[in-house]
Amino acid sequence: MKQGDKFVLYSILALVFILFIEYGIFKNHSTRVIVIRSDGKIVKELPINKNAFFEVKSREGHLFVEVKNGKVRVVDSTCKEKLCEKEGWIGNTGESIICLPNRISITIISKNGEKVDTVTY
Amino acid sequence: MSSKKIVNIIAYIFIAVILIFVFTKGKPLEKPAYSEIYSMNTICDLEIYGKDKKAALQKSVSIINTINSIIDDFSPQSDVYKINENAGIHPVKVSKTTIDMLEKAIQIAKQTDGAFDPTIRPLLVIWGFKNKNYRVPSEEEIKAVLKLISYQDIVINKADNTVFLKHKGEGIDLGGIAKGYTLDKIKETLDKFDITSAIINMGGNVLTYKNPPNGSVWRIGIKNPRGSGIRGIIRVKGTKFISTSGDYERYFIKNGVRYCHIMDPKTGKPARKIISITVVSTKGYLGDALSTAFFVKGREFALQNTTKFGVGVVGFDNKMMPFISNNLKNSVTIYNEAR
Repeated sequence: MKQGDKFVLYSILALVFILFIEYGIFKNHSTRVIVIRSDGKIVKELPINKNAFFEVKSREGHLFVEVKNGKVRVVDSTCKEKLCEKEGWIGNTGESIICLPNRISITIISKNGEKVDTVTY
Repeated sequence: MSSKKIVNIIAYIFIAVILIFVFTKGKPLEKPAYSEIYSMNTICDLEIYGKDKKAALQKSVSIINTINSIIDDFSPQSDVYKINENAGIHPVKVSKTTIDMLEKAIQIAKQTDGAFDPTIRPLLVIWGFKNKNYRVPSEEEIKAVLKLISYQDIVINKADNTVFLKHKGEGIDLGGIAKGYTLDKIKETLDKFDITSAIINMGGNVLTYKNPPNGSVWRIGIKNPRGSGIRGIIRVKGTKFISTSGDYERYFIKNGVRYCHIMDPKTGKPARKIISITVVSTKGYLGDALSTAFFVKGREFALQNTTKFGVGVVGFDNKMMPFISNNLKNSVTIYNEAR
């Protein structure tokens, strides 16, 4: 195979790959969300695949949550031991970060397969 | 590699890409005609597909507004208001729609031994569900009002198009049948247009019309009666009506007791046999009114009467234990916790 042929072939493969990603064929279709509770109540629910940075307050204090590239972590908590910050990034369904002193928890749950057309109530 | 080979490779890749698109994406999704309106004291979502979707949507919205203007018991122009105001005084001329809806309501009242009763209004008034000043009335108050709850007292004169309530103080409330009835009318309208698919949700009362835009099964979530999310899924095919009655939509809690807006016409108190029940039916008015009657009567009555009415039911008893009629066993999935 000539250099030029290889170039053409690889560019086509790359193009196809990009198309695949663009049209979501390789995308994880599960709708995973981060559930944030403060003082026992759900205060925020957001998708894990969208980058975000925000503050969560509780009666005890506050911390910041960073969501990036399908993972989530705590930064800059007002708690003493900073165990929540040391936990680092989490990204798997069912994983959670709990800041006991602040009474704030961050849990990743899966809503996979729960896509519904509508809801009856 | 010859240029011919490269052309071949390119061709193969193109075919592969096209095949992958066909098998993974199907036809490109058509955009529905969509509208969200606030009517009948609730939110109505309409999503319609097909050549005539815009005209069908417009007509459907006007049906909702028309029926709402007939049954709105707070509007002095409505048929229901006029009937109630003139209870025990004189018959009132009303629209054919009102008579049709009342006849259907009376029919179900008879068939459910009065568990569904369109003359429930005086009870809703004394419990504060009409003006949202919720209160627990005294036993004497309830006893006095119970005499006014009687669907047999609705006198319909079809020759004159009039309706009369026999006694002063009696009152009609069509909240337990009007949304389902409206969905029937929307379905009839969709039939007249070139529509391939539609899903209409009127405050939890759902009409699925034909097949979903990209598949053959509609997935209807059952709202979690205690908290957020859904507690189950009903899979339905084709044109169906799905209605739910539960104690979690309109209720108040006093001294730790939950009082919901669905009244038991026999006791004069909120029904509390079950937490929620969903009815799958081929008639909207039937599913809507039956969900109320089944909610009042409870689990056993509901399960024993599905064949009689040609419906399916899925519900949660007062311990949150699910129950499903045999004809729905294969189409319902219940989750152990909210999703």
